[in-house]
Amino acid sequence: MIQGRQLLRALVNYAGLALVLGLLVTLFALSTDYFFTWTTFRTIANQIPDAVILATGMTFVLIIGGIDLSVGSVLALSGAVLGLAMVRWQLPLPVAVLLCLGTGALCGVLNGLFVIRWQLPAFIVTLGMLEAARGGAYLVTGSKTQYIGAGMDWISRWSLLGLSLPFLVAMITVITGQLVLTYTPFGRSLYAIGGNEEAARLSGIPIGKAKVAVYALCSTLSALAAVIYCSRLTAADPNAGSGYELQAIAAVVIGGTSLMGGRGSVINTLFGVIIIAVLESGLIQMGAQEPVKRLVTGGIIVAAVVIDYYRGKI
Amino acid sequence: MKKTLLLSLVMVAGIIVTGCGKQAAAPGETADKAPDKLRIALVMKSLANEFFLTMEQGARAHQAAHADQYVLLADGIKDELDVNRQIQLVEQMMARHVDAIVIAPADSKALVQVCQRAQEAGIIVINIDNKFDDEIMKQRGVHIPFVGPDNRKGARLAGEYLAARLQPGDPVAIIEGVPSAFNGIERRLGFEAAMKEAGMNIVASQVGDWEMDKAHRVVSALITEHPDIKAFLCANDSMALGAVAALRSAGKLQGIPVIGFDAISAAVDLVKKGELLATVTQHADRLAVFGIEAALEVLKTKATPEDMETPVELVTAEALAS
Repeated sequence: MIQGRQLLRALVNYAGLALVLGLLVTLFALSTDYFFTWTTFRTIANQIPDAVILATGMTFVLIIGGIDLSVGSVLALSGAVLGLAMVRWQLPLPVAVLLCLGTGALCGVLNGLFVIRWQLPAFIVTLGMLEAARGGAYLVTGSKTQYIGAGMDWISRWSLLGLSLPFLVAMITVITGQLVLTYTPFGRSLYAIGGNEEAARLSGIPIGKAKVAVYALCSTLSALAAVIYCSRLTAADPNAGSGYELQAIAAVVIGGTSLMGGRGSVINTLFGVIIIAVLESGLIQMGAQEPVKRLVTGGIIVAAVVIDYYRGKI
Repeated sequence: MKKTLLLSLVMVAGIIVTGCGKQAAAPGETADKAPDKLRIALVMKSLANEFFLTMEQGARAHQAAHADQYVLLADGIKDELDVNRQIQLVEQMMARHVDAIVIAPADSKALVQVCQRAQEAGIIVINIDNKFDDEIMKQRGVHIPFVGPDNRKGARLAGEYLAARLQPGDPVAIIEGVPSAFNGIERRLGFEAAMKEAGMNIVASQVGDWEMDKAHRVVSALITEHPDIKAFLCANDSMALGAVAALRSAGKLQGIPVIGFDAISAAVDLVKKGELLATVTQHADRLAVFGIEAALEVLKTKATPEDMETPVELVTAEALAS
């Protein structure tokens, strides 16, 4: 019985988002010449992997009732390390990628430790990291875009059945993320922490460890997104990812994850990312002016959350 | 693990170095007590940006070579939009009684008022990089000389070079900078003028916010909607790099030339490789120096300063080879 209701809820969840997405696609298909083509969808699929991976990490953080404002800066810093390792130190790609992921993990562990050790609001700690990691990115690159070139190009070109490697990596991340949340004790403990931290503590959940793990996961995923970002642009840009934290939060919230914690799903976040990407691509193809684009994007974000309010009542 | 540790050490060291950087600016303080030398303040935009960094390094090198003539007090803001902080910087420089202020204003309107006050306090003010708004200066009855390049002319040069490789009537697209930036608008107008003159058809003109990733997304969407586009004209090199990456992943890099602006190092490399058709240099390393030299000249001759145009040049594979 409970299973049945859960299934219904899940269906309603996905159906609502799929409906919004369907409406957008139809609208753009009717108002432009080439939107409804395979090329458009392949282009979007090649552009969202880093956003999807960032938003997956952000979903975990929001579920425990936290927030991570540093994802964009951590992306830039780990990308900068990747660029430096490849261009200046001439290291092989796997080593460079490991250094990059290590940098991300380190930032996340620092975030987590500060949050639990001094019981600080994650907003402030990660705001600090947003500044510090950006500064680190400028230092590491000497404020110059590092052109990596062919050494990484193949990552975004390699494809299986028309799906690029970054896209596959992003999908694996989403599916793994969802499975962890739904089926592992760790995943379920995160909902408990976000729902009621005190109750979770009393029931014996190691809150500190779980929090550090979540922030480390989020930053490591930012570093993974950096690998994809750098391979797509074949360059490490110290200004990369500025403002990504808000885009990631927007995508997660459109997907119905609560900013208050305790509720959320990675699959829904994926829908959120796709909705934002479709919107952006469609508006460009329509030839919309910049102010209009921003107005519409802002409107859709709020509308999606309003729809979510009603969805929650079913 | 060791590497991460090393990296964190590097980061810490970096923080210490920047901390010391603050202290290193202190020679300005001692300079306050040396009345025999002229003191020139350089107020910059974001020092996190390669372009402004090059400008500042050029100025420092010039000062080192002319240490007997003047002392340089250089400072910049955190990001290019922090107008308020830049106003504070000008006020601080006034309080330190500098002889001249060379400024790259973060906003061509909002900085006029404070620079007028500096002028009234007897400080020579020279405007570089981003030109103050003529209308506002006229309204306030103030004239601040602009020493810098003609962005429109530079964009036009690049546009003409590109047009020679296209057929009249070819569809082209422009990727613009931040819509409110004066130099971005000038570059767009320069591109448009060159394209119209050569009879090209501008099918799209979209904002890329000066950013690589944004331009990548815009260009990807544009080549889908207008598969026949023959060229992209980008208002800066970061966006041109994004456009090149987007064309490469669409397998269209061979047939569609891209031009940029600023001649940052990564873009010059691409021009050498033939992946970017051309970019424009405004001699970033000399831009602040031109302003400083103008200020020194005015301080020496007591003449009324005039606007001065600095050179812009096309950077192409042929030019680099020679």
